[in-house]
Amino acid sequence: MRNTVRSNGCNLAMTSFHVAEEEGDPSGSRGARGGNLSHHCSKMDGMDDETTVFTTLKSFKSFISKPETSQKPPDSSLAHHHLQRQYLQRIEMEEAAEKICSKTHLLQMAQEKQQMELSHKRARIELEKAAHISARDLEREVDRNQELLNRIKKLEEREAETTRTLNEQMEMNKTLKKSLEGENKKLEEKESVISEANKTNGALRDEIRELNHKLKKLDMQLTTQSTDNQGLQEQLELQRKKYQELTMKFQELQATQSLNSDNELKIKELERRLALQEQDSVIVRNMKSELARLPDMERELKRLREENSYLRETQENSNLLREETEGLRRKLERLEKLKEDMVSLELEKEKQATVLQAWENLSEMTGLNIRKPEDLSREIIQIQQREIALKQQNHSVTSSARALEKARAQLQGEVTDLRTKALEEQKKREQQDALVRRLQKRVLLLTKERDGMKAILESYDSELATNEYSPQLTRRVKEAEDMLQKVQAHNLEIEAQLSKAQEEIGTYKLQTQKAEMELDVLKKQAPGAENSSFVMNEEVSSLRQKIEELEAERRRLEDQNNILEMRLEKHNLQGAYDPTKTKVIHLRMNPTNIAKQQRLDEVEHLREECQQLRERIRALQAGGAVTSNEGTLSLPPSQEVLDLRRQLESAELKNQRLKEVFQKKIQEFRTVCYVLTGYQIDITTENQYRLTSVYAEHMEDSLLFKVIDMSTFITRTVVSLLKRLQ
Amino acid sequence: MSSTLKGITLKGSAELVAEFFSFGINSILYQRGIYPPETFTRVTQYDMSLYLTVDPNLKTYLNDVVTQLKGWLFDCTVQKLVLVITCLETNEVLERWQFDIECDKTITGSSGTREKSIKAIQEEIRSVIRQITATVTFLPLLETACSFDLLIYTDKDQVVPEKWEESGPKMIADSEEVRLRTFTTTIHKVSSMVAYKRTDCI
Repeated sequence: MRNTVRSNGCNLAMTSFHVAEEEGDPSGSRGARGGNLSHHCSKMDGMDDETTVFTTLKSFKSFISKPETSQKPPDSSLAHHHLQRQYLQRIEMEEAAEKICSKTHLLQMAQEKQQMELSHKRARIELEKAAHISARDLEREVDRNQELLNRIKKLEEREAETTRTLNEQMEMNKTLKKSLEGENKKLEEKESVISEANKTNGALRDEIRELNHKLKKLDMQLTTQSTDNQGLQEQLELQRKKYQELTMKFQELQATQSLNSDNELKIKELERRLALQEQDSVIVRNMKSELARLPDMERELKRLREENSYLRETQENSNLLREETEGLRRKLERLEKLKEDMVSLELEKEKQATVLQAWENLSEMTGLNIRKPEDLSREIIQIQQREIALKQQNHSVTSSARALEKARAQLQGEVTDLRTKALEEQKKREQQDALVRRLQKRVLLLTKERDGMKAILESYDSELATNEYSPQLTRRVKEAEDMLQKVQAHNLEIEAQLSKAQEEIGTYKLQTQKAEMELDVLKKQAPGAENSSFVMNEEVSSLRQKIEELEAERRRLEDQNNILEMRLEKHNLQGAYDPTKTKVIHLRMNPTNIAKQQRLDEVEHLREECQQLRERIRALQAGGAVTSNEGTLSLPPSQEVLDLRRQLESAELKNQRLKEVFQKKIQEFRTVCYVLTGYQIDITTENQYRLTSVYAEHMEDSLLFKVIDMSTFITRTVVSLLKRLQ
Repeated sequence: MSSTLKGITLKGSAELVAEFFSFGINSILYQRGIYPPETFTRVTQYDMSLYLTVDPNLKTYLNDVVTQLKGWLFDCTVQKLVLVITCLETNEVLERWQFDIECDKTITGSSGTREKSIKAIQEEIRSVIRQITATVTFLPLLETACSFDLLIYTDKDQVVPEKWEESGPKMIADSEEVRLRTFTTTIHKVSSMVAYKRTDCI
């Protein structure tokens, strides 16, 4: 390391020298170079070479500095010489430097060689040491090896043992494994059990949690209840205080009441006396006033008596007058009636007079010799007699006329009968002629048929010889026969119809002839009545008019009848009936009645339910507990309501018990206080407290305290105490 | 009885008419929906399927009325049978089915038969019942809850039995009437008609 450093240093020095040479700076650089060198050399050198280097360096520096100082004052003319000298100096210096350098180099090399040798020695020594050490190490290692070999042997023996033991252990292991498996199963079972237990645990924990929750809730409830209790206790205390106050008040009130009653009695007595006295005074006053009024009364009495007498007289007069008026009124009525009668009589008189006049004129009108009603009656009798005679004549004439008419009618009837008979005979004859003609026609037809059949047969016979179509022929014959029969039947039918028609015609002819005969008869009768033609014509026309009117009325009545019949039909359809001939009945228990009854019952039931529900709502709204009189209601109380009721009851019970307990405790406490301290404190009114001592001589000895604010008290009744003491 | 003999006796005719009324009333009750359809069962009668009620109360009521009616038909004292349908809420009569019965009183008691085949009578009854069923098409709907009653018009001098009482004719105030077919057993002639309350929809 040092050698290399030195060589480097030398190289550096060489380079610095070369640099100086290249630059050609004479003075400054040298110094710098020198400095550099020295620096470097000082660095490079070891302990042995440094002094020599220093000396060489010092001589070098002195050498360098000399030429410098000597070179400064010369001029430029000497400059050239100076320069040359400098150059030569420089070259010399350079050579010197090179020599020095080489010397130094040599020195350095020698040093290095020494150092190398030293180092070689050192190395040898070290190597020997190392060899020694290594030999020792080797021995140690050999020992160690032997030891290790011994150990290995031991270990091998151990190993064999251990393998044996391993095998045994393996066998053991197997057995153990089996047992383990068995135990594993057991473990699994146990695990399952445990898991189940865990589940149950979990469930139990949940339950526990829930129970805890419940517990908490109950605790909360308890706290609330305790607070409620406290509140109730306080209330109780207040109530108790109030109660005591009230008892005190009550006692005072009773005392005052007794006083009051006494006072009231006194007052009543006094009032009564006062009233009596007032009454007496009033009576006295009235008496006075009455006495004052007496003379006036007497005067009035006189006057009234006079009036009375006067009035009595006047009353008699008035009675008389009334009777008179009544009499006069009756007279008036009678007179008015008389007047009316008179008027009516006058009217009658006039009428009678006119009648009389008429009767008197009658004689002039009738021309008969009538002057008196007797003449009239005579005339009337005569007329009546004449009438009777005429009637008798009439009767006889009519009876003869009827007889004649009967005879005529009989004859006519006979005539008509004979004529009908003649007609019938004629008709029969005609029928017979017709029959004969028909029969003749039939005969002709039959003959024709026969001829035809004969011709056909002959033709068939003739044909039979030529052709031999016998089945066809027989068929044809049959067909022909059928045709024949049909035709005959048809003929018969037509003839029967014909005969019927002819009979009908005959009957109609008979009827028409009868009608004609009647018409002729009527016509014969009609000319008989034409004697009184003029009157008869009139009668006929009037009769015709009547007939027309009757016809019109008939039509109208028919229409009315139709309308009424339609109405009747309609009413019949609607269900009307004649109550005199028909009655309508039905079963009492019919579906409509039953349904109506059911509806009514339903409505009633619903109304009742409504009513009950309304009452229940009212009761509930009032806040009172629902009583057990709801047996009729069908609404079952819900579970909540039942629970709430139970809770309410339990709370009330608790309250009751608490109250009792508090009462007891308070009582105890108060007695204890009284006994121990000797003082009893009671609350009389709101802010007043009464302190009583054990050693009080009288029951009423007490101190009353009034609370303004809790800090100050005002004592009272010290005066009363003092009084007592006195 | 009357089916095996050639002719119809008074008793047989009464039975036929009573049977017709029994089925006819059941049909009307079913068609008009007075009772729910599930309370009816189907039977075959007059060669057609008809409905009969199974409600026991209704059955006893109808039996009572029909047996009494049969007796009166035998006595020829019944003039009409009316089925009145009333609305329960308003107590108004909504429909009136009237059956006029004309009895030939010349037939006396159990003597005498008339020549008419059962089949012909049944044919006529069938057409009447079919017509009753067909009337449903034009009769107004019965929308409210209704109930029915059976009225019998008898002669004035007829004795009123124990459970029966007199009643009004229960006519409809403003009605439309429709005449239906008639059938006759030659002893009893039954003509049917229906009157219903006029609705304001037309």
